[in-house]
Amino acid sequence: MADKIGVFICTGYGIAEALDVEALVKVVTEERGVPFCRTVESCEGSDLAEIIRDIEAEELDKVVIAGISGRCDEVTVFPANVIVEKVALREHVVWCQPPGEEDTQMLAEDYLRMYIAKIEKMKPVEPFQPEDEIDRTILVVGGGVTGLTSALAAARTGYEVRLVEQADRLGGRLADQYKSVPTRPPYRELEDTGIETLIAEVEGHPRIKVYKSAETGGITGAPGLFDVTLRASGRDRSAPEIVDEFRVGAVVQATGWRPSDPREHLSYGQVPDVILNVDLERMVKEQGRITRPSDGRSVKSIAFIQCGGSRDPDHHSYCSSICCLTSLKQAMYLRESDDQAKAFIFYEFIRTPAQYEDFYRRAQEDPGVFLTRGDVTDVARDDTGDLMVSVNDTMLGEQIRVKVDLVVLAAGMQPNSADGEAIRAFEEAKVTAEDGESEIQRQDAADKVEKLRHHEGTEILNLAYRQGPDLPVLEFGFPDSHFICFPYESRRTGIYPAGAVRQPMDGVASRDDALGAALKAIQCVEMTARGEAVHPRAGDTSHPDFFLQRCTQCKRCTEECPFGVLNEDEKGTPLLEVTRCRRCGVCMGACPERIVSFQDYSVEIVAAMIKAVDVPDEFEEKPRILALMCENDAMPALDLAGRRRLHLNPHVRVVPVRCLGSVNVEWINQAVSMGFDGVLLIGCKYGDDNQCHFIKGSELAHSRGDNIREKLEKMALESQRVELHQFQISDYETLPGIFDDFVEVIEEIGMNPFKGM
Amino acid sequence: MGGNLRAGPDTAPLVEPDLDFIRTLSRGIGENYMKCMQCGTCAATCSLSPEDESFPRKEVIWAAWGWKDRLLGDPDVWLCYQCNDCSTRCPRSAHPGDLLAAVRRESIIHFAYPRFLARWVNDIRYIPLLLAIPVILLGLAWRLSGPLGTALGIPAFTGERIVYSYSNALPHWLLIGFFSVFAVLVLSSMTLSIRRFWRSMRADIVRHGGGVQVKGIRASFVATLKTVFTHDNFAICTTARIKYLSHPCFFFGFLAMSIVALWVVTAGINPLVRDSFIYPFAFWSPWKILANLGGLALVAGCILTIRERLFGTAYNTAGNSYDWSFLVTLILVALTGFLTETLHYFRMEPHRHVVYFVHLVFVFALLVYMPYSKFAHVVYRTTALVLAESFGRKRGAPPVVVDGETEGGGCP
Repeated sequence: MADKIGVFICTGYGIAEALDVEALVKVVTEERGVPFCRTVESCEGSDLAEIIRDIEAEELDKVVIAGISGRCDEVTVFPANVIVEKVALREHVVWCQPPGEEDTQMLAEDYLRMYIAKIEKMKPVEPFQPEDEIDRTILVVGGGVTGLTSALAAARTGYEVRLVEQADRLGGRLADQYKSVPTRPPYRELEDTGIETLIAEVEGHPRIKVYKSAETGGITGAPGLFDVTLRASGRDRSAPEIVDEFRVGAVVQATGWRPSDPREHLSYGQVPDVILNVDLERMVKEQGRITRPSDGRSVKSIAFIQCGGSRDPDHHSYCSSICCLTSLKQAMYLRESDDQAKAFIFYEFIRTPAQYEDFYRRAQEDPGVFLTRGDVTDVARDDTGDLMVSVNDTMLGEQIRVKVDLVVLAAGMQPNSADGEAIRAFEEAKVTAEDGESEIQRQDAADKVEKLRHHEGTEILNLAYRQGPDLPVLEFGFPDSHFICFPYESRRTGIYPAGAVRQPMDGVASRDDALGAALKAIQCVEMTARGEAVHPRAGDTSHPDFFLQRCTQCKRCTEECPFGVLNEDEKGTPLLEVTRCRRCGVCMGACPERIVSFQDYSVEIVAAMIKAVDVPDEFEEKPRILALMCENDAMPALDLAGRRRLHLNPHVRVVPVRCLGSVNVEWINQAVSMGFDGVLLIGCKYGDDNQCHFIKGSELAHSRGDNIREKLEKMALESQRVELHQFQISDYETLPGIFDDFVEVIEEIGMNPFKGM
Repeated sequence: MGGNLRAGPDTAPLVEPDLDFIRTLSRGIGENYMKCMQCGTCAATCSLSPEDESFPRKEVIWAAWGWKDRLLGDPDVWLCYQCNDCSTRCPRSAHPGDLLAAVRRESIIHFAYPRFLARWVNDIRYIPLLLAIPVILLGLAWRLSGPLGTALGIPAFTGERIVYSYSNALPHWLLIGFFSVFAVLVLSSMTLSIRRFWRSMRADIVRHGGGVQVKGIRASFVATLKTVFTHDNFAICTTARIKYLSHPCFFFGFLAMSIVALWVVTAGINPLVRDSFIYPFAFWSPWKILANLGGLALVAGCILTIRERLFGTAYNTAGNSYDWSFLVTLILVALTGFLTETLHYFRMEPHRHVVYFVHLVFVFALLVYMPYSKFAHVVYRTTALVLAESFGRKRGAPPVVVDGETEGGGCP
């Protein structure tokens, strides 16, 4: 039985004044043959209650409400199993078009046609439920301050936790520290690290199971269904000793950091009395005082050299944000040991963010702490074994030298991460180097193998993901998500990096980060259990469906999925892991066979919307532009433009898309062949200022755009007929300009010759 | 051991911070300077800061680094009149102006002969002792005046010509003799100090690539005197504008009284002295008028300055005995002087003798402790100005003031 569709058209909001509502009703009932259509004053409050009564009375299955934008109205619960679509007649037509004009009326009618066509094709959404029950256990990888805090937070919230630590003790780097910098007002006195208490709490918690000297040997499956194999930590991976096997729902990766190795920087590694900040920390922790490694003499003066090997473009180019604090703290260790001791701190910029400024001031007040900007040019040992440090460009106005017992390099932090994508590329290149088709191919692969060899054996999580065994990393090896506003996110659903592995940070920030990641992990298992997507389409219950009979194993979807959702079988057929999916539709945009669909978003549904547009023939001199606009920034910007009463070109018909990455070339082909004069693609920024909510959707659209332009040229059409714009919501004022400029371009090159064919 | 023994450049100065010097500087008036974050606002705002040097920013970091030699031989600290433009604009309230005052105090102590006396003078705990010294010495002189006069063959005072005179208690010859002895000591001590001070500043100038004299010492001295008399350096102060009024009060008041005193002291050997000009003067005598005006100016200067110290925001008055003891001594000298004079006119015996004695004690404290107190600035500053003039120490362009804010500066 066909679904019963109903359309409600609001007459309020100035709609009746600007538009011929009767004509709209006629389009709905006569042209589209919708059996039920009525006008209502508004779609809010008592009018909405009336709409809902009508839906129930008429037993409607699908409802189009033409009134205000779905982003503006109140949250309403419609009767179960009723599909509702909203047409923003107010924002997208009445508020941005002159009332009573022919073009205004045409625009409103087209939107009604498009959304009726859309709803006709939409299917009810059944939230995804796997055969197995979703597991809510949380796996925490790494037993440092971040991992411990995360585990404890999740356990206290009521979740089972498995904590894996590679070393034979918990505590990580914080356990090596003698004292911590002040963490509370007045930020003056050094504090105990508090790590022992945290370890005791974790080890004593009934819901936390701790594995020491263990590591993740493999993680298969997907959020809610991850199957984890733990093996004994150690280098012998050929004969791993399996420690345990279990299922978890989500993973927190808190693998921490290691000091960067400033080898050969300022005699490090050559002069024994030039040491790293971590070495000094351990020395104070272990022996309670500072001595010279070379002769064991008690140290009376230290030169701390900030950015010791950091912020050097050739080596370790970023700021680790905590080394300045560490040096100030270590200067305090020295000062507390001897009233006449001298701590020199040479820096380019001293960075003590936020309230830590007060600690900097505290150190500054100390008569034995000497701070200056300066470029340390040389560290040399004299006959007595003392170290002579030469410093250029000091604030003292000249080059100076100081004589010290010990030099401490403030080494930066490097994440303990693994570049999953590089490891995969390495493994693939290794195979190609062996049995590539041509000599050139084999040689290229061999070069690649050499280039990537340092990634060999660096796996941490050992994910069974087609796109690589670990989280993808960004610059400097940090496995951040590149979600501009959303820390803790990663590019693998259900796996959340936290602490210093994600970004250089101190213990306090790590604890915060740990809580964030624990919450994310909990959110993930709970939403997955309800069949909902997590960030950024949080709560979306639709899910992709692959019509595999038509799959040609081209691997585009498995390659392009930004979240590594799809594994492959030996032939290259995609194996869908639904709970990994973020519902962006990039696979749908990628598939040349158009076999990927969501229940409420598919190639067919959008094609129907495009097809529903009434394209005037060439003699009417009314061009038609199709604008495929991203729902994340561009669509809300369109609402904003309406709200600000900006006049928009009436020839543009907007179709919202989940991400530009989900745009299938088919839509463009169809639009062009049915007489649209041009196609605008408006999505998020990519590149250095990447703002794509699905990581690489808009970038993919851009690279696919080259194919589209080629195709257009084959059809003897101008490639300017397709334009891609990078856009952010704050640019909404430029939207009218983008529309007008494009229409101008189209008018210049002329109407689409395929019109009316 | 092995290791890298690359030869470092050994021409750069080796800095060996003096922690005790830092502690000394940051006690009392200089207590805030360690807050400096080296932004350079002080240098941008200072009207004395030359374009190629960051004054007083560099002095503040030298102080933070306990670089004693640099600071004590630095002529620049003496060019500062503590107008406090820097202190009021410092974003960290590090009070660079007060630090320079502390450095000046330490310079006076450092170059003083004997140094222990300088330490006493600048330590509030020694005030009773320092006052006891003149009390004992003057008391002794008074006691011995009879036998000494007899021994020297000076006739006892008859009191015929002048009815009311202090001379019958403490004869003039005795006081002149007493103070002349100390004047010789003060001058010798000062000379030694200034010689060392001059050498140290010369060395500093040479190190900075200067050392070429652009003007003779005599011409420089004349130019300096002009500056001192006209107070033109005070004219460019903006924050402590009141100093342009108070310092001339001190300066000319003290000058007037010095001239009168010199006249009186040299009366016995001065051929210009005639009967009518002989001490004690009549109330309407031009000498008396000059001395009284000078005294009044001194009191006015003291009142203005004390008001500024207590209610002005730019000063750090905490534990600043260097500044206060000099100021209090000055005003006590002036007040006891006037009191002595008043009691004299009202013929109040024997109170006037007690007050006169107290007056002499403070005069002693002011003059004899001069090489060790803030009073020594008269000599040190003049010397530094002469040297700066002679070696062409460039003075900075006046700061650009836009809407009351100084442009430039900011972090280096």
